[in-house]
Amino acid sequence: MPNLAPFLISGLAVGAIYALSGVGLVVLYRTCGVLNFAYGAIGAVGALVAWQLVQLSMPVLLASLAAIVVTTALSLLYGWVIAPRLAYRETVVRGVATLGFALLLLGMCDLLWRSNTPRQVRLPTDTLGFTLLGARVTGTRLTAFLLALAITIGVVVFLNRARLGVSMRALANDRDVSALLGISVLRVELWAWLISGIMAGVSGLLLASLVNLNAGTLTFLVIPAMATAILGRLRSLGATLAGGLCIGLAEALATPFATIAPYRSVAPFAIALLAILWQQQQPAFRLAKD
Amino acid sequence: MSVMAIVAMVQIFLGGWQAPALSLGEVARREAARRKATAPSVRSLTDADIGPVPARIIGPPVTDVVDPATVGDGKAAAGEPIVVGGIVGATGPDNWSSGAKSATAYFKCLNANGGINGRPVNYLVEDDKWNPEQAALVAAKLVKDDKVVAMVGNTSFVECGVNRPLYEQEDLMVIAAVGVPRECFEQKNYVPTNAGPRVSTLGAAQYAFQKYGAKRQVCIATNVPNAGTWTCEGIEAWGKGAGVEVKSIYIDPGALDATSVVLEAAAWKPDALLTSIPGGVAVPIFKAGQDQDLRDKFHWLGPTSIYDLKFPEAIGDYWDGYVDAQIELNATDSSGPDNTAWRTIMDTYGDPSDPRDTFSQAGYLAAKIFSETLLKLDPAKIDRQSVTAALRQVKQYKSDLMCGEWYVSPGDRQNANHAGRMASIKGGKWVTVADCFETQDVDLKPILELEAKEGLVSK
Repeated sequence: MPNLAPFLISGLAVGAIYALSGVGLVVLYRTCGVLNFAYGAIGAVGALVAWQLVQLSMPVLLASLAAIVVTTALSLLYGWVIAPRLAYRETVVRGVATLGFALLLLGMCDLLWRSNTPRQVRLPTDTLGFTLLGARVTGTRLTAFLLALAITIGVVVFLNRARLGVSMRALANDRDVSALLGISVLRVELWAWLISGIMAGVSGLLLASLVNLNAGTLTFLVIPAMATAILGRLRSLGATLAGGLCIGLAEALATPFATIAPYRSVAPFAIALLAILWQQQQPAFRLAKD
Repeated sequence: MSVMAIVAMVQIFLGGWQAPALSLGEVARREAARRKATAPSVRSLTDADIGPVPARIIGPPVTDVVDPATVGDGKAAAGEPIVVGGIVGATGPDNWSSGAKSATAYFKCLNANGGINGRPVNYLVEDDKWNPEQAALVAAKLVKDDKVVAMVGNTSFVECGVNRPLYEQEDLMVIAAVGVPRECFEQKNYVPTNAGPRVSTLGAAQYAFQKYGAKRQVCIATNVPNAGTWTCEGIEAWGKGAGVEVKSIYIDPGALDATSVVLEAAAWKPDALLTSIPGGVAVPIFKAGQDQDLRDKFHWLGPTSIYDLKFPEAIGDYWDGYVDAQIELNATDSSGPDNTAWRTIMDTYGDPSDPRDTFSQAGYLAAKIFSETLLKLDPAKIDRQSVTAALRQVKQYKSDLMCGEWYVSPGDRQNANHAGRMASIKGGKWVTVADCFETQDVDLKPILELEAKEGLVSK
């Protein structure tokens, strides 16, 4: 039996990646009713903008802030121009529209920054770290993990207590009734897209550092993130967080086993599939209102 | 995806702005001014250098073939165009269009200086979008509709296997820029200028063994059959004969978890690590290596795929002095006549945004070999048949861009390039640290025998 301890640590580290992306997806879904496939792409644009600004000798923190401004602007642009026009369409249609936006952004990134040129975003937290069970955990990884946790707790509190949060939930539930109740529909939705944009920017920077500064990789990270979101039934942020960590662990722990190691990246989808099958068997999940 | 396709096409064909044609004399003067006396110095290879198999000594390259810049009269070619094709994977997981871009620049220079004995080359480049169906489609278009006489500068992951029946059926030759998967090196009509990932990674492994005494080596490659697995199998086969233990770790190129990969490699306690993966995918591996502080635990090497000019900056100065790469063509800043001409042609006829990388050198070389072969033919009789026949005769071709002599083999495998140099990251740049040496791939034995038998390289 190989020594699994270092892989446990690296598993939690990659799990934080899945958790962060998954939580970001679920938050927007709960607040806007939109499955945002462009979440990764918006983050990618932010990360590349930050990289470009650093190349132009801007300090990293300032460049990161600028990147978050850009991602928020992109998210707001979509939320203001396109999302309201699709508000009465089915969830699938609204999701596919964000996919179109994602591909547009991906094409733009490939045009402006040639794909697969070796690049790296170096965050100040990269140099800090500590060793645990034979593997080194950098500050960036710890930040990603803690951020996923903070967002989960913060958003849960926000959606349950804050007035704006409750309005968002109402809007996601039933748009017309919410309007009748006097909730300013467009304003509340724009707030949701704004929050999503900020989250996409922050997670884009962290993921660019933890995974790869590559527009394609970051854009399509939304796919395993979707698998993570499914583990939380697109509803429970806590379950999404836990699910992401489990997937990361499963993927990393498979590494020392030579027969399954080359197929590790199937872990999110295999686990999501099993989760769906299991959820179908639970009457509590099956009968719950969407 | 169509948005990206349009964007990619525009990018490829944007080299449509005609730079003012240099007069012939000017081109010759510039080349002469830069021509230095030193050919790349070639070490005498001893057993101690490279191992038990005595390596062939490679003589200084001399270009004694017809140079397009010294014929013609500086006037633009105005005859009937010769149609030539090129297929590259531009849109997709990576952008491999540099070979076609440099070939385009080369043909522009050629056409501005008389073309092929008065006939300009009409170079049509197609993007296969890394899609086998698309590759078959564009090949059929070029071969059957546009009736190209040959293909030049091809660089594709998918087209070698897919288009082989078409090329053999139509007896069309492809002087490719760069081949990656196995299929690109194991067919009669497809001839890459490069050595391939297996040979290149093996060169790095040999260097690690000779220079660092690395008897335990990890080979990291993508789990793509006939590319990654073919490479590491070659290292394993060599290892058996050389007394080197090899562990292969195959990764999904889209995988997000580089840390587990380096932890697994480190747990085996190797002396050297070979990262046989493209530069962009290798950056996270090196980043994970840095996070885990592994640079002193074992040596880090790779094939030409990590020899990207932006790679040292991307992985950071933690790695300065710790990374070596085998390079299949000469260093991009080398001073030989062909390399200098490549840079000049790119600066004059290419776009500033065209990458000046190994793919670009390869495309230039492919276009040069093709043009020089055609210049020897009767311009009135240039058609697919005569071009194929002429290209099949290419042998003992010398260039400072390559270590050995290049040729088109009469056999079923094309792997003329099987020697290379080593470069190291020093001071944030790639610096050549070892001169030409042969690769001892056991698989190359039949190729070396055929070389000797048919006189494909000079003794």
